[in-house]
Amino acid sequence: MKYLTENNKNIYGYPNWRYKAFFVLIFGFISILIVGFIALNFGAISIQPKNILSILWHHKTDDSLGLIIWELRIPRLIMAMLAGMTLAGVGGAFQGILRNPLADPYILGVSAGAALGACTGIALQYITGLYLANLLPVLALIGSFISILMVYLFSRKKSHFPMTDLLLAGVAVNFFFSALITLLLAVSNRELHSMLFWLMGDLSNASWQKISIVFLPVFIGSFLLIYASLELNAMALGEEEALHLGIQTEKLRLKIFLIGSIMIAVVVSFTGLIGFVGLVIPHISRLLVGPDHRIMLPVSALIGAAFLILCDTIARTIIAPTEIPIGAITAIIGVPLFIHLLKRRNENNEY
Amino acid sequence: MNKTKNIFFSFVLVIMIFFLNGFAFAYSENCNFPITLIDDSNTEVNIREQPQRIISAAPSNTEIIFALGSEEKLVGRSEFCNFPEEVEDIEIIGKMSPLNLEKIVSLNPDLILSYGGFQLKDIPRLRELGLIVLVVQSETLQEMIQGIKLIAQACGIPEKGEYLTSQMQERIDKVNYQVMASSRQKPKIFVGSNFDTIYSPGKDTLFHELITLAGGENIVRHLQGWSKISPELVAEKEPDIIIVPSGIMNPEEISKIKKDITNHPGWSNIPAIKNNQIYAVNEDLFYRAGPRLVDGLELLYEIFNRK
Repeated sequence: MKYLTENNKNIYGYPNWRYKAFFVLIFGFISILIVGFIALNFGAISIQPKNILSILWHHKTDDSLGLIIWELRIPRLIMAMLAGMTLAGVGGAFQGILRNPLADPYILGVSAGAALGACTGIALQYITGLYLANLLPVLALIGSFISILMVYLFSRKKSHFPMTDLLLAGVAVNFFFSALITLLLAVSNRELHSMLFWLMGDLSNASWQKISIVFLPVFIGSFLLIYASLELNAMALGEEEALHLGIQTEKLRLKIFLIGSIMIAVVVSFTGLIGFVGLVIPHISRLLVGPDHRIMLPVSALIGAAFLILCDTIARTIIAPTEIPIGAITAIIGVPLFIHLLKRRNENNEY
Repeated sequence: MNKTKNIFFSFVLVIMIFFLNGFAFAYSENCNFPITLIDDSNTEVNIREQPQRIISAAPSNTEIIFALGSEEKLVGRSEFCNFPEEVEDIEIIGKMSPLNLEKIVSLNPDLILSYGGFQLKDIPRLRELGLIVLVVQSETLQEMIQGIKLIAQACGIPEKGEYLTSQMQERIDKVNYQVMASSRQKPKIFVGSNFDTIYSPGKDTLFHELITLAGGENIVRHLQGWSKISPELVAEKEPDIIIVPSGIMNPEEISKIKKDITNHPGWSNIPAIKNNQIYAVNEDLFYRAGPRLVDGLELLYEIFNRK
């Protein structure tokens, strides 16, 4: 980043951000560990905490309790963590590049593409009689990449990549794919249920294998997003101002769009659509730690992870053995929290 | 002296246990196993030993297990299983979808009877965990009979399956024969209720198949699957008999449903209403691909031939 001289760093940088970030990150990691361990104690089956500790310590997987902890609960926790991190982090970054508080990770069409891919797979399964259940995540991934490509092609004008066009292309692709899904649902009978169930977010199928696939893109993507956070700060001042500061805004937008979309595509293909987290968690973290993306993005990812672990724990225990779709829980818990923080800020701030 | 006596007795005891064990082993050792079956998801399912702990994730499969007399091996069932009454004593694993994997694993099953459809997305994970999943998803009466045979094979009691299905086939054939022999005009049948949106079973549904086999003419036989139809279509087709499936989908009181249907605007000219030919039936006999489909068939035949 040659163009970031010490001088203009001070214009849109914040003093002491390193200490703040360090403190916040340590606090976040510890709280995730605590939330994670607490969540591990809850489930359809009640297991004594001391048994859980011994299962964890000895890495027992030979009996059904060990299997439940190591093959069901822990993968599910980690998947919830990865999904929460990705959704909230990418949501924050998308709100930054689109300069729109209503932006969420699904606004640029990835989710609709994934859903269409999966629904097509389910329909094909009924038509051909083949067993495609294993392939559904792959089809969802293909669908979401097609939608990313479409949004990219529709919003690019020669060498330009304007913000409004990106947003509109995303919304248009979203609507188009949703319409195709509705069409599929309308002409299908028996497969209707499986499609509707796929569309609702669900973490119950998490496994180590899926985590190993999701982990790398999420890890690298998060790193790249945080690396770009200084430029996102400049974007917050306005497109023109950012340009004057030497930020290539169109390149930045394209970069964030591609990184974020790929991260979301990988996650959504395995978890289905979990709503609300990507929209509101970035706002919550902005209310808590301020608008500096270098702190806000990691915090948002950490809160997202802890929040989704919490919601998933509630979803699988509250009326066990029946599970509630996690999307319902995220909104029911998140909205009051969000409104509370919003009111508190409005009372404290002068405007 | 006492000590030698004790030793002697323990020796005898050990030998006896050995013998009993041997007998029990010989008894439980079934020559059918290991067995490889192709289930309704076109997957090869390997069953190494005779299953002793079975989970049924669908009402139809639960009914089949009971009909085969293997209910004492059932350790889990879905919340929707409501027949026969003895299912009350069996542990609930949750709703049919999404399946609660934790609950299932904790019951330590050696066979899971799944309904395909919306459970398909959970099945790969169950199989990854090393559990044996048999998908039984029947869309027609004959597929249901094949499904019973498949489950009987998986449970190591193929001869029971053969016996049960041959009995059912006899009952089906009997209705079939009577319908063929009858020279009466086929009654026009409408299946539906007084809802604002009327869903009626078109072709490719179990209900339609049973109506046809029982000698009726389904007024929506030209439609595919469960279809939304307009009240005008019902008025135009002038059905002779109206069948109201009652149960979870249609929980209102039957007398009220009958009254509402009778007073439905534009339907006063329908023969079924003029002649009071409205019958409420238990929906489970027609929706659920289990052994009671044959009861449903006989019930329909009886209704069609009531005078």
